[in-house]
Amino acid sequence: MKHTSRKWSLRVIVIGYLALLVGLPVGYLFIKAFSHGLGAFWSEVTKPNAVAALKLSAEVALIAVPVNTVIGIGAALLLAKKKFFGSRALTLAFDIPVAVSPIIIGVALILAYSRIGWFGAWLSKNGITILFSPVGIVMATMAVSLPYVLRSVLPVLIEVGKDQEQAARTLGAGAFRTFWQITLPAIRWGVLYGVTLTIARTLGEFGAVLVVSGDITGKTQTLPIYIFAVWDQSYDTIGAFAGALVLASISIVALIILSSLRARERKLHVDLA
Amino acid sequence: MSISLSRLTKRYGPNVVVDDVNVEIPEGSLTAILGPSGSGKSTLLKLIAGLEVPDEGRVIIEGDDVTDVDPRYRDIGFCFQHYAPFRHMNVSKNIGFGLRVRKQPKDVIEVKVRELLELVKLEDKANSYPAQLSGGERQRMALARALAIEPRVLLLDEPFGALDAIVRTELRHFVKELHRQIKVTTILVTHDQDEAMEVADQLLIMHAGKIEQAGEPTELYERPATEFVHSFLGPTTLFKGVAVRPHDLELVSPSVGSIEGVVTSIMELGFEIQVTITLSDGSTPWVQMSRNEFRALGVTTGSPVSVRERVAQ
Repeated sequence: MKHTSRKWSLRVIVIGYLALLVGLPVGYLFIKAFSHGLGAFWSEVTKPNAVAALKLSAEVALIAVPVNTVIGIGAALLLAKKKFFGSRALTLAFDIPVAVSPIIIGVALILAYSRIGWFGAWLSKNGITILFSPVGIVMATMAVSLPYVLRSVLPVLIEVGKDQEQAARTLGAGAFRTFWQITLPAIRWGVLYGVTLTIARTLGEFGAVLVVSGDITGKTQTLPIYIFAVWDQSYDTIGAFAGALVLASISIVALIILSSLRARERKLHVDLA
Repeated sequence: MSISLSRLTKRYGPNVVVDDVNVEIPEGSLTAILGPSGSGKSTLLKLIAGLEVPDEGRVIIEGDDVTDVDPRYRDIGFCFQHYAPFRHMNVSKNIGFGLRVRKQPKDVIEVKVRELLELVKLEDKANSYPAQLSGGERQRMALARALAIEPRVLLLDEPFGALDAIVRTELRHFVKELHRQIKVTTILVTHDQDEAMEVADQLLIMHAGKIEQAGEPTELYERPATEFVHSFLGPTTLFKGVAVRPHDLELVSPSVGSIEGVVTSIMELGFEIQVTITLSDGSTPWVQMSRNEFRALGVTTGSPVSVRERVAQ
């Protein structure tokens, strides 16, 4: 009796906590976004500036996510193999962008690449603009989403060990085949999890991007910045809610796809060992 | 095929793990490298496979110096201690991996895999995934996968280490029978003397990175070259200050020209009985005998007895 009551009170606490922090606000967002009907919602999300923001966010994600995935997997392979001089410093360097406030990343990028920085001065002399352009936004986004793939893949890689790779090698497989047919399938859940987190962070980043983008409506506004702008500057609550709903839905859908893929895989007994 | 190792040395920093090993492993033999943990036996096996690179010395397989050859091209079948199954592939795909790497035609691979499944008695597990297999089945799959490429040498790293006692015994017989059928030169690494004595026709005793003695099991057991081999290959006890096998001692009635003492403990291990005696000089040798011998003697704790070395018959 005592045992069940403790189990139930634990459940109530966890569910209540989640409801307060996640369920209630997100649920309310759904209700509010459609409070003036489907038509009003649709006209909000199809406004030219909203579409431009969504497009820019998608473009940034399309560049940042694949690049960070490749770099994350590469770094994980490097760090899992052997401890070398500077390997701890390298791991630390990957973590810095998420350990500090995003605003710091933004300000630091401004420092390095504006005309006051020596590198920025050289770039502007050669006609290359990074700040207040999509290039800067992509850089800031890549920086703040840097460690997710590495952090998801590295423990899996260490757990899997090198036995399977060595076995493939004694059976005659080269490095290329071993990676694609042995290593990658073995770490695929770590990779997918890392990619999902990277997508979420890439689409959601606000602070670092705001600083480097210059917040030019219709040009350098990503979706989160657009939402904040319509909320803050024009008190357009429906517009903000509609945009927020689109943004939240993308991430939630990504998470649902990941967990359902994983559940299907479990059913096939492939991953039980 | 025959393997010859000359002056093989491997260091990890200041530790010499394999220390100037020189040995010839005869063609078609089933050799066990036997030694306590940390003796360098697994490293020696990996040096033969090319998974570790020696600091000095050469590895020669059937006359070819393969020291600088990548493990990919050594044609070696290697079974890992924890089998290293490819978890995302079913049993057939695992076994056929080396053949696909060698770009064999599909129908050839199919026939070969079916033969190997039969050889390792996994016909009904062809479509199972490693997670669905027992430890013994995984080991047999790993054996089939290694044999698929028709290796020149089969190397097994602690092949029975992670299995329970019954499966262990089964698999020992299986490996022995398999070797009788396909005659590929096989080297296995183990820390278990009984296992090595039972399965192998050649033993290499390793200790602190060096080969202590090499030869046939009976020869090593009866004529150990060093104190270490003597104590490692079977039980020993101190009698008159010398290490002897406890089954080479016998108990007799007092005062038949032997050292006198008293029985201080009796351990009954089924068929085998171990009797410990405290002698008048203070030493405490133990004697190993069969249950029948023990019954005939009729001693109990406290009985006065004498100990002497058995006379060879």
